[in-house]
Amino acid sequence: MSLAHPVINELRAIVGADGVLADRDELLVYECDGFPIARGLPTVVVFPTTTQQVVDCVLAAKRHDLRIIPRGSGTGLAGGAVAYGSGVMIVTTRMTKIESIDIANRVAVVQAGVRNLALTEALAGTGLRFSPDPSSQRAATIGGNVATNAGGINTLKHGVTTNHILGLEFVLPDGQVVRTRDHGLYDGIGPDVRGLMCGSEGTLGIVTRIWCRLAPAPKHFRTIYAVFSSLEGACKTVSDTTATGIVPTSMEIIDGSMIRVVEEAFHFGFPTDAEALLLIEIDGIDQVLDDQLQRIVAICHENGATTVKQCADETRRAELWSARKKTFGAIGRIARSYCTQDACVPRSMLPTVMREIKEIGKRFGLSIHNVFHAGDGNVHPIMLFDEDDPEDVQNTLRCSQAILEYCISVGGTITGEHGVGVEKLHLMPKMFSSDTLDAFNRIKEAFDPERRLNDGKLIPSNRVVIELLKPTAANVPGGAL
Amino acid sequence: MANMCTEVADPESLAELVRQSLTDSVPLVDYGRVHEGVGHPPPSVHTRFCQTIAAGGDGIIEHYTRDLTVRVSAGATVRQVNEALRPTHQFLPLDADEDLSIGEVLMHDVYGPLRAGYGSGRDLLLGLRYIDGLGRDIHVGGRTVKNVAGYDVGRLMVGSLGELGIVYEVTLRTYAVPEEVRVVTVALTDPDTLSRNITNLLLTDASPTGLSLHGDASGWRAIFRYCNTHGGCVVQQADLERRLTELAGDTARVESVQTLTPEADETARTAERAWRRQADLLVKVVTPPALTGSVAALLREGGWRIDALPVHGCIFVGGEGNAADALRLDRTINETIDTHGPLGGRGFRVWYNRLADADLIAPFAPPQSDYALLCRIKSAMDPHNIFNPGRYLRG
Repeated sequence: MSLAHPVINELRAIVGADGVLADRDELLVYECDGFPIARGLPTVVVFPTTTQQVVDCVLAAKRHDLRIIPRGSGTGLAGGAVAYGSGVMIVTTRMTKIESIDIANRVAVVQAGVRNLALTEALAGTGLRFSPDPSSQRAATIGGNVATNAGGINTLKHGVTTNHILGLEFVLPDGQVVRTRDHGLYDGIGPDVRGLMCGSEGTLGIVTRIWCRLAPAPKHFRTIYAVFSSLEGACKTVSDTTATGIVPTSMEIIDGSMIRVVEEAFHFGFPTDAEALLLIEIDGIDQVLDDQLQRIVAICHENGATTVKQCADETRRAELWSARKKTFGAIGRIARSYCTQDACVPRSMLPTVMREIKEIGKRFGLSIHNVFHAGDGNVHPIMLFDEDDPEDVQNTLRCSQAILEYCISVGGTITGEHGVGVEKLHLMPKMFSSDTLDAFNRIKEAFDPERRLNDGKLIPSNRVVIELLKPTAANVPGGAL
Repeated sequence: MANMCTEVADPESLAELVRQSLTDSVPLVDYGRVHEGVGHPPPSVHTRFCQTIAAGGDGIIEHYTRDLTVRVSAGATVRQVNEALRPTHQFLPLDADEDLSIGEVLMHDVYGPLRAGYGSGRDLLLGLRYIDGLGRDIHVGGRTVKNVAGYDVGRLMVGSLGELGIVYEVTLRTYAVPEEVRVVTVALTDPDTLSRNITNLLLTDASPTGLSLHGDASGWRAIFRYCNTHGGCVVQQADLERRLTELAGDTARVESVQTLTPEADETARTAERAWRRQADLLVKVVTPPALTGSVAALLREGGWRIDALPVHGCIFVGGEGNAADALRLDRTINETIDTHGPLGGRGFRVWYNRLADADLIAPFAPPQSDYALLCRIKSAMDPHNIFNPGRYLRG
C-alpha cells in the first residue's frame, strides 16, 4: 500500500480538507472527460476558490515536481482534461463568482468556474447575453469555454468564444499571475495574448478570471424546419444559403438515423422516414426577416425539401432547439459509449464530405449518426462503440482517423470547436509542418519552460508520447504511454 | 545596407530577406504606410522593407466565393482586394484607409466605425502564413470558419506591430455587399449623453452598423451608418429619429441623411478621417465605451480635433501643434487615464504622430500588466530580435 503523497496535506492547508480529493474511489470521477477512451487518475484533485489559492496550488505542485492538469466541468470532448496517472488536477468549478456586470460598457467579470448558463441567467432582463452557447452550456464553465474556444449553435453569425472575450487573468506554471487587457476595454496594446489563450487547452496558463464581452441578445427570429429525403439536399441548402450572403444565426442538420434516435427518446414529432432535418434560424430587424426567410425557403425547395415549416410560436422554437441540444443525450440510450468527431470543412464542400463520411463508416463497418453545425461546416459524426471491447475501440479510432484525414485533404481542419486534447494529437503532424509545430512548442516554452502544465495535450510533446491507436489495457491514459 | 528600402512581392523573396537579415545581423523594419509614428523609432542600422503584390496581380490568391472567404497577399491594399471582390458582390469590411495593406491593417489592429456591425480584422481572420524569426515559413489557422487546431497565433499577431513575424498571406471572411448604406448625421452639443446611452442604442432597431463621433471647431456630430437592404435602412433610420432625444440628448438634431452606394461610403469614411494623416500630433486614447463622450469632450477643451468610436471606446485626438503642444496634450491624456483621473486607470493611450523631437513622450502608456510575458513571446518567436526591434517590446 503506497503512502499518501505529501502534496495532499499541503493542498489541504491551502483550500481546506473539503477542497481536496485523494481517495481512489473519489478520483475515479475525474479519470476522464467527455472523451471516455482516454483515462487516467491524477494524484490528487483540488478545488480552489480564489486566484491566490490557484497560485498556491500551482506552487505546491512545482515544489513536488508534479504535473498540473487544469479542469473545468469536464465536458471537453477530446481528453484535454485527463491526467497521466499522476499530477495535481486543479478544478475551477468552485470559482463561481460573477464579480460584476457592467451594462453600460457591456462587460461581465467572472471567475473561471462560472457556468456558461449561469451568466446567461444572471443577465436575464438586461437585453444582453454572453453569446457562446455550447451544447454543454448548462455544465460547462466559462474558463473551459476559453480553454477550448468553445462554439455552439449561435456561432455562425455571432462568433466563437474568442470573439467575446475582452480580457483574461491566468496563472502561469511558476505561480505568476498575468492579467491581459484586464480593464474591460475593447482594444489593447501589442500582441493579443487573450487570442492566444483562447483554445490553448490549459497548456499555457490556468485561466482564473474573465472579462466577458456582452452582446445584445437578438429579439426577433424566424426559425425554419425543413425536411429532406436526402442528406445531400440539406447540405446543398446550407451551401446555397451561404453563397447568397445571408448569414443565419444557425444552420443545424440532424441526419435520418439521428432523427430516429432522438424521436424515440424524446418524441418531438420529427418525421422518422426523413433522411435529414435542417434547422435554420435568422435574427435581426423584424421587418427585414421575412424577405430573408422567403429566400431561404425557396432554396430549401430548390434542393428537394419535402416539408418546410416556419415555427410559428416561441414554444415550438424552444422545443426545436432543445431537441437539437438533447441529441447527444439521446445517443446514451442506444450505446454504452460514443465518440464524436469535430472536423470542420469549407461549407461549400459539405455535400461531398457527408457522402464520403458515410462511405468511410461503411468501410469500417460502423453506422455513423450525424448532428452538426452545418452552417459552420463543422461536422460531428458520431460513432457508437463498446468501450470494454478493445477491438471495437480501435476500429472506432481508426474510422475517426480516416474521417479526419479525409477532411484535412479537402482543406478542412481536425477540430472546429472541441480541441485537440489527446484525441487528435497524432494528427497534428498531418495538419501542420514540423516548423509550425516547433513554433507552437517555442510558444509553449515561453509560458511553461518546465512543461508542467497539461503537457502532452494540444501539441505533441517529447516527454509524453500518446499512441491512441495502440491497443492496451483499459484505464491507461490515452491508450498507452 | 542600412536604411535602404526593399520591396518584396512573394514569400520566397521575403524568406530570403529574413535569412539575409539573420546572416548580417541587420534588423528588418516595416512600420507601415501611416503608422510610422507608432512606437519607439527603429535602430539606426536596419533594412527597411515593404510588401507589395506581384505585377499584374490583384492581391487575391484564392477566393472561395461560395464560402465567403478569401486568401490574400498581406501586401495587397484594402482597395485592391475590394475591387477584385466587387464582381462577386462581396467585400472585406476592414474599415481602414483603402491604401493600407491588409498586413498593415492587421499588424496595427486598425478598425473604424464599421467595427460595430462587422467586427474588426481580428474577427474576420481565419488563417495566416508568416515568416518567423528563424526564417521559417509558418502556417496557422486555415480556410474554415471554425478551427481550434493548434495555438491561435493568428490572433496573437493582430496588433503586434510587426514584432513577432512577417505575415505574408491572410485568409479572411468576406461579407455580401449591402444593398444600401444610409448615413445619418446628427448634430450634438453634448457627446456624453450618446456614449452613456450606447448600450441602450445597441438594444434597439436603431443599432448602427457604424457609429462615429466627430468634434472640431464647428461642434460635435455623430454619424450613424446603416448597411442593410433598402427596407432595413428605412426601418433603422425611422427608429433612430424616434429615439434620438432619449439616446443623444435634448439638443440632438438630424443634420443630414444620405443614401450611398457602399463604394461612395468607403470614400466618405476615408474623407472623414483624412485629417488624421495630416495632423502633426495624433493620439489614440481607449476608454470604457460609456465614457467616450465625456473623455472626448474633456480632450476637445484643449482645442484638439476628435474622431471617436463610442461603441468601442476609441478616441483619436490631435491636430496641428509643436513639441510643447505635444507635451501639453500628453499631460492632459495621462491625467485623464491615471488611476486618480476620470477613467480611474481604466484606459490607455498610444501616440501615432508625436513630433520627432518630442523625446519626453513615451509612445505607450500606462505600462501594461502583460508586458513581461509579451517580451518572452517575442523572444520565442523572434529569438534574434530582427523584426521591428524595440518598437514596443524588448527583444
